[in-house]
Amino acid sequence: MGETIVITSGKGGVGKTTATANIGAGLALLGHKVALVDADIGLRNLDVVLGLENRIVYDLVDVAHGHCRLKQALIRDKRFEGLYLLPAAQTKDKTAVNPEQMREICQELKKEFDYVIVDCPAGIEQGFRNAIAGADRAIVVTTPEVAAVRDADRVIGLLEAAGLNEPKLVINRLRPKMVRQGDMMDIEDILDILAVDLLGVVPEDERIIVSTNRGEPIVQERNSLAAEAFRNISRRILGEPVPLLDLESNGNLLVRLRKMLGLG
Amino acid sequence: MGAGQGAMVQIPGVRPERKTILIERTLRSGQSLFYDGNVVILGDVNPGAEVTATGDVIVIGTLRGTVHAGAGGDEGALVVAFRLEPTQLRIANHVSRPPEGMTPSGQPEVARIKDGMVIIEALGFRL
Ligand SMILES: Nc1ncnc2c1ncn2[C@@H]1O[C@H](COP(=O)(O)OP(=O)(O)OP(=O)(O)O)[C@@H](O)[C@H]1O
Ligand SMILES: [Mg+2]
Repeated sequence: MGETIVITSGKGGVGKTTATANIGAGLALLGHKVALVDADIGLRNLDVVLGLENRIVYDLVDVAHGHCRLKQALIRDKRFEGLYLLPAAQTKDKTAVNPEQMREICQELKKEFDYVIVDCPAGIEQGFRNAIAGADRAIVVTTPEVAAVRDADRVIGLLEAAGLNEPKLVINRLRPKMVRQGDMMDIEDILDILAVDLLGVVPEDERIIVSTNRGEPIVQERNSLAAEAFRNISRRILGEPVPLLDLESNGNLLVRLRKMLGLG
Repeated sequence: MGAGQGAMVQIPGVRPERKTILIERTLRSGQSLFYDGNVVILGDVNPGAEVTATGDVIVIGTLRGTVHAGAGGDEGALVVAFRLEPTQLRIANHVSRPPEGMTPSGQPEVARIKDGMVIIEALGFRL
């Protein structure tokens, strides 16, 4: 039996879909069978980011309403052995499925897959409640911005209230130069408020935008720090103690971060 | 007479009729608490969280959210925090917020009303 991980944030546009695609592809590259579920009904993106849009026949809503079997709706990603997508419907809205249906679908997927990763829509309303319904654990994505961290905090409170305790944090779009100049929250500022375990830090990287537009997850690229960050996150999900990336070739930083992860 | 019966307390200045609640967790953004009595929080009060009490509010952690002590009009109410960095702080009917650009003192502090104003001092021994 596999496990279901929801990727959520509260605030929109912080990188949930990017993280879902890259963590999913990363876990598949490490030899695991992964199903990605796009729970952002009405604003589906994950299929585009994965370059699978033109292969959609059935979607999540069709499965929930019994219009097709789960297997018929799953799209196999030919580039990553073991990676599958259950796309969202584009022409419906969040009320087209309910938490009970989501729970059943995740349960069903867990029988076949090692990891079921749910891409949560922004916000804390029904789309959020649907996305977390079948989850065994949660990853919260934030950017180093006050508003994003505030929303992450709100979401962590809601996850805890729903019994999803100790979510893990991904800080996305960090710009070491801005942090150094004091123009951006640093990792410690964020962890000080959120008080959760850090799963990884992904730097700002233009190539993410390029790869997103091309429909190719960046995770397989060799000379990108963001790709390496996502590969490391995937390995940490498997329980490997991978030290945090040194985003700035600054020894002190690395030591400090290691300490936070409890590895040093 | 069972334990916890207020009448047993006979120390001057102690108000046995006022209840106290202990919260053993951090209040996160969007979470709010109202209590008719004193509140002690073993954790933080994050930005976007709110604590309102008719009595004192004591935070054994960092208070970054909004706090209202003496919410029933008690001008003697206190706010104590291990780190007092509130978004907004109210005692009775007095509203205050930290001055623009103020850097946190990094030490335990107490806020109270003195001469009709909310003042913040390092936490001494004379509460
Ligand atoms: N580390 C990064 N560096 C540069 N650009 C990034 C990074 N992460 C994400 N982006 C870009 O930010 C935008 C938003 O990302 P994404 O769609 O993953 O966010 P989201 O949280 O899923 O948004 P929504 O809330 O709308 O679903 C995209 O254009 C993406 O390419
Ligand atoms: Mg998205």
